[in-house]
Formats: sequence, structure tokens, C-alpha cells
Amino acid sequence: MWMLLRDAITYACMLILLSTGLTLTYITTKVPNFAHGEIAVIGLFVAFTFLKIFGLNPYLAMPAAFALSALTALGLYKLVLKPLMKRGATLDHLMIATLGYDILIFAILNVYADVLTKVYKVKTRGFMPFRPYDFTVLDQPGIFLVSVVAVVVLMVTLHLLLTRTRFGIAMRATIENPNLASVCGVNTELVYTISWILAGGLAGIAGVLLPFYFRGSPCLGFVLIVPVFTASIVGGFYSIYGAMLGGAIAGLSEYLITYAIASAVGPWFLSYRVAVPLIMLAITLLIAPEGLTGINWRRAGSLLKQKLSGLWLRLASLGGVKA
Amino acid sequence: MILLPPLLLFIMDTIAMIAIYLITTLSLNIQYGYTGIADFGKSAGVAVGAYVVGAIPGRVLMAFLAIEGDYIKDNTPIVSAINSVLSVDVALAIGTLMLGLALAAGLGALFGYVASYPVARLKGEYLAIFMLAISEAMRYIFNYYTPVVGGPYGVTVPDPFKFITSAYGGQLRLIFASVVILIISIGMFYYAERLARSPLGRTLRAIRDCDVAAEVLGKDVASYRMKIMVLSSAMAAIAGALYAFYTLYVAAIAYDRVTWTFWPWTILILGGMANNVGVVIGTILFVVVTRLIIIFKRSLEPILPFDVIWLEYILFGLMLILVLMFRPEGILPEKPTKTIEFEKIKERRARKGRSHGKASS
Repeated sequence: MWMLLRDAITYACMLILLSTGLTLTYITTKVPNFAHGEIAVIGLFVAFTFLKIFGLNPYLAMPAAFALSALTALGLYKLVLKPLMKRGATLDHLMIATLGYDILIFAILNVYADVLTKVYKVKTRGFMPFRPYDFTVLDQPGIFLVSVVAVVVLMVTLHLLLTRTRFGIAMRATIENPNLASVCGVNTELVYTISWILAGGLAGIAGVLLPFYFRGSPCLGFVLIVPVFTASIVGGFYSIYGAMLGGAIAGLSEYLITYAIASAVGPWFLSYRVAVPLIMLAITLLIAPEGLTGINWRRAGSLLKQKLSGLWLRLASLGGVKA
Repeated sequence: MILLPPLLLFIMDTIAMIAIYLITTLSLNIQYGYTGIADFGKSAGVAVGAYVVGAIPGRVLMAFLAIEGDYIKDNTPIVSAINSVLSVDVALAIGTLMLGLALAAGLGALFGYVASYPVARLKGEYLAIFMLAISEAMRYIFNYYTPVVGGPYGVTVPDPFKFITSAYGGQLRLIFASVVILIISIGMFYYAERLARSPLGRTLRAIRDCDVAAEVLGKDVASYRMKIMVLSSAMAAIAGALYAFYTLYVAAIAYDRVTWTFWPWTILILGGMANNVGVVIGTILFVVVTRLIIIFKRSLEPILPFDVIWLEYILFGLMLILVLMFRPEGILPEKPTKTIEFEKIKERRARKGRSHGKASS
């Protein structure tokens, strides 16, 4: 049971790292970044290169992965999204542009994987998790400790940054109202730049942790996109704290619900893990698209009291009105 | 046996792919170009059609011809037994094709109906995320759920053009199949053009440009969006069904978001949104370039240390971003709706005036 919970927590931590970055870029630039999963896979391949080519501990890849992923994310913002926004592109065009960037990264990672296979004769698609290269502390695998520490550091740093520094106040102002913030002398462009760097870097760190857990492959980003967006939306797409909460909920429930159902109906259910975040996403979007942190709980509570008899009807129509 | 020049076969194969992508992109054009529903899960609609063809016609024929066995486990012997019947029974073969296409359209429409529930309620990024998630999840679920299309191993599909193979050889089958697919796609193009010029087409554009204004003018926006979802999903499912009948093989994992969502979007943006002729030009351009890459694959392979297919990805990924930046309206921009010629209006008014005059006198 502890092992199961440990794996669930590790997975949830990776999701928190990813969904926080996704939400950060969304609330500043207002574009959902469909390339976020693939940006994490860059980190994965940096770790892979460190381990298999240089023979180093994959954890040492973290700074390099942070830098490379941050650079890629910044490239998406500076070279693609910003020029498009200047030209007055619609949201749909911005979204399809991030998908295009996603395909670009995917192709370049595949080229890199092909070259590695050809030159160094290593398996680059579906390689085994790095578990054997991990260290242990008090019989606990390093990946668990590193993920938890990474998330705690992230939460504390981000909270202090947002509430205790001038830059954090500028950032919150930009999120609330970019025009007003820039009139008041806030360098909104710097805020956007930093948030894309942070988002990419966090994805890179998550990417280093991923191969301890998943079989690595360039197409892992495709698999990740569903749980990561679920995490961001369940928590509330407009709140960074919501992204952390959502990552924890989505990660833990994906793991534990799948396991609970599988132990009830049989191990075949484990293959359908991807259905759990999808259903969570669907329920959240249809009932309360503003997410957990966006719900007005007091109002929701009084509504529940009022209409306790017609609860389900009420929820359905709420979904209809709010969206 | 009739042997044909390889160039002709290559051209016919290219035409079949153009026709299949044309149907998919036309359905996306009706959905996004005209109505403004940004469907980032187009691959789900195409996949429904392909899965239906992979799962149903073979089983129906199995029951009809009283063949024993498990359709998924003994797929190859069962399909070859069915094909040996189809190679002589022309009526049954055509019936198989019709059944496959009709079921694909029907279930595609049903999928569109189900998907229209979120479409009517969500907008912008939320809709895009939801549709993308549905298509990705569906692909993974059917990749593990073997009873439908055999999961990771895939299924072979009974060949509705088998009677041509048996009479004239496989090369003529390819040509015949391409022509059939081309005819269907021309029909779809005609339908899409008529739709765009009809009062419905104008209503759709009004909804796309400002749904509140359309609602104020008494148009039921939610119901129009639902109808368009049903229609375009059925069209995409027909494209998937034709692709399955053409390649005679269905694997769940093949209907990914690059091949069947991203490429149609690229074609649509390249060719020109809300312009069906632009979609045709974009499709031809896209398929021909991918084919040329395949031709040069052999000569490029010894030089490049990686698979040539990634060049295609990089090329089109870059091209999409550049088109969005420098020509977001596409090769052929949207044109104002053609109206009746002024002479004809005058003629009609004159006729009407005469009939009024008669009535009054």
C-alpha cells in the first residue's frame, strides 16, 4: 500500500511541475500551450543523454534540462506567439501555432533519437525506466524524494516570489490587467518572458524525473498532454495555486482510482488509465469550467441548500449556463 | 493480368490520398472555416469511420457466409475466406462497401451528436483542449481494447474491390479504388460548395462572425452548431472508412493527432479558410509534397542519419507557422458569397411585376 501511495505521490509531483508551468503561461499570455508535453520530453532526452552517452547520473541533467526546455519555451513565445499576437492573430490561430511548434519539437527530438540510435547503438524509443540507476535513502527511491523536494521548493519559491517581491506584485498585476499594469510602469513584456522561461524550465525538470517512472520515448508528450491539461483545468485554469492543487488531485486520483477499479474488476483495467483524467476533465468542464479554485463556494453552498431536492438537475443546468 | 506503368499507379495512389484528405479537410472547413468550431480532435471523427470499417463489415460477412471463428484472433484466415467469396460475388462486394460507408457515416454522425454536447457549451481554448483530449484518449483506449479493431495488432479489412483483383490484377484494383474514392470526394466537394452558398451557409458565417448577433436575429446557434458537428463528423468518418477500405488495414494507434488533426488543419490554413477551392489547392499541394518526400526517400536515406519522415514534420510544422504569420488568410482567401446576377434579378422583378399587373387589372 505504501509503495502504491509513493508511486502516486511521485506521479502527482511530476504533474504539479508540469501543470504549474502550463497555468503560468496561460494566465499571462492567455494561450493554452499544446507544446508543453513535448517541451518536457526535451528534459527527458537531456537526462537520457547524460546517463547513456556521458555515463553521468541523470539527476545531474537538471540544470541543462531546465536551460534547454526554458529556451525552447521562450522560443515559442518570442518567435511564434508574440509576432502572431502583434499581427492580431485569433486565439484559434495561436493554439494551432502551438500545435505546430509541438510537431516541430517532436520531429527534432525524433531526429535526435534516430541519430543517437545510429551513432551510439542505444535504444531511444520505449527504453526501460531509469529505476536501476536511482539511489535510495532509508529504503525509499531517490525519485520519490527528489520529486517531493522539487515540488515543495517550487511551491515555497513561487509563493514567496508572488507575495514578497516587487517582481511578484508586478506579475500579479499583469495577470489581473495587463493594460493597467503597463500604464502603471510594469514591464509586462519582462513578466511574460520570465513566466515562459519558468514554465519551460519546470517542464524540463519534470522531464528529467519522467524517465524514472515512464518508458521514455519522443512521443511521451502526446500521452502527457491529457493528464497535464486535466490537472490545470481541475484546479482552475486561472490560478497558479489551483494548478498545484489540480496536479495533486489529478495525479493521485488517476493513480489510485485506476488501481482501485483494477483491483475490483481485474488487472486489465490498468491499461485504461488514460480514461480517468479524461473523465475528470469532462466532468470539470461541463459542471464547473472555472475549476476548483474558481468556484464561488459560498454561493455554491447556498445553492445546494436551496435546491437540495433537485440537486442533479441543478448541477446539469449550472453546466449549461456557466459555460 | 494487366500491367501498368508505375508512374500511373503512383499518380493514382496520390489521387486517392488527395481525395481522402480532401474529404477530411472539407469537413473541417465546414466546421471551422464556416461555423468557427475549432475542432482540435478531428482525428477522432476519422478514427470512428476507420474503426467501424475495421470492426463491422468483416463480422457481418462472417455471419452472412457462416464462417466460424474469432474475428480478431483468426483475423487473417477469416478475411482471406471472405475475400475469396468477394472475388466472385460482385453484388456482395459492392454491398460491403456501401454497408461500410453507411455505417461509418451513421456512427460518425452519432459521435458528432455526442461531441456536440461539449461543443454547444464550451468555447475557445476549453473546447480545443476537450476535443484534443477525447481524440488522444480514444486512440489509447482502442489501442488496448482488442475486441474492436484488434488493439496493437490491428485488423485486416475485407476487400470490396476484390472482384477486380481476381479479374484484372491488383494494379487495376488500385486504379478502380482510387477512382471510386475520387468520385465520392468530388460529390463531397459539390455538397460543401452548395452548403456554403445556401442560406444555411450564410447563417453559419453569421454565427462564426458574431454568435450573439445571430442569436438576436432569431437563429438557434446551439442547434446549428450541433447539426454541423453531426454533419462534419459523418464526413470525417467517411474519409476514415475510405482510407480503411483503401489500405485494407486498421490499427487504432495510426489515427493520431498529427496525421488526422494537424495535417487537415495545416491544409485548411494553407489553402484558405472558408474557401473550398482553396482547400482543394491546399490538399493537392500537401499530398504532392509528402509524396515527393517519399520519392526522394531512397536517395536521401544514405545521406541522412535519420528517418526522412521527420523532414516532412519539420517542413509542415514550419510552414504552418510561417503561413499563420505572413498569410493567415491562406492561398485563396474567403470570398464574398456569390449572389444572383443583377440581370437575372431585373428579369425576375419584371416577370413578377407583370404577374402583379395582371392580377390588378
